[in-house]
Amino acid sequence: MTKQRNFSQNISCEEAIQRIFPYIDDYLQGTSREELEHHLETCRHCFDRVEFEKLLKSRLRKLNIQQKTNLLQKKIEAIIDKF
Amino acid sequence: MTKEEQQEFKTLVLPHLEELHRTAYHLCHVRCNAEDLVMETVTKACEKFRNLREKTKIKHWLLRILSNTFISSYRSQKGLTMVEYTETTHDDGGGFSLFAELSQPFLLWWGNPERELVNKLMDEEIQKAIGELPQEFRLAIVLCDVEGLSYDEIATMTDVPIGTVRSRIARGRSLLQKKLYHYAQDLGLIHAGRKIHDKAKEFQSEH
Repeated sequence: MTKQRNFSQNISCEEAIQRIFPYIDDYLQGTSREELEHHLETCRHCFDRVEFEKLLKSRLRKLNIQQKTNLLQKKIEAIIDKF
Repeated sequence: MTKEEQQEFKTLVLPHLEELHRTAYHLCHVRCNAEDLVMETVTKACEKFRNLREKTKIKHWLLRILSNTFISSYRSQKGLTMVEYTETTHDDGGGFSLFAELSQPFLLWWGNPERELVNKLMDEEIQKAIGELPQEFRLAIVLCDVEGLSYDEIATMTDVPIGTVRSRIARGRSLLQKKLYHYAQDLGLIHAGRKIHDKAKEFQSEH
């Protein structure tokens, strides 16, 4: 027998928005996650917002500071050699 | 340290140098201060190395030292772009959302101005906005969004409850988006989008 998913309540957009950050950060689990995913299946606006927050998060992940650590590495090695 | 320990330490630490420097740079937003922060971190790590039991977790161990050093040593230091803040009295963006501000759900075929904005923003502009965040928010955002750490890992690293981490990330993102919106306004990146957005709102209210 297939277990039916039983959502005790359909959450509002306001409640969904409160859960979006922990959702995209993979912190939201259990019923809270299921309720949000159920909401996202039926609410285009919240779905789009989740996609946008994921996009912005991935943009931050790709930040490049064009660092050159060669000189820093020499300084670090000098620090280590003193211990 | 013995010569063998020094060599082991170098072998373990140096592969993470770029990550440490990148994290430090986003926290300090000044290259020379970032280097100082990394060097102070490594100095402390040298002192504590013999106490490190799980050497496979050295990256997180180093990031934890770096985070704590950033909080404790750099908080009151002049010359850093710190914004003093307490948990209850500060600008946290007030729940600002770039998406809510720019999206045009009723004009989908006209494009996605919120996505276009993210694509147009330069790294330097985003870094500047991160650098202006209150330090607790900045630390949470850098560790979560830039370095990709989990809430649990950030809570352990920064010695705060996980609920506080979650709150700081949410408020930090809101404030970051507010700052990015203002930069984009100043740079004229969202002018066209706003005109469309405003026209669409007018259309919606008239019909």
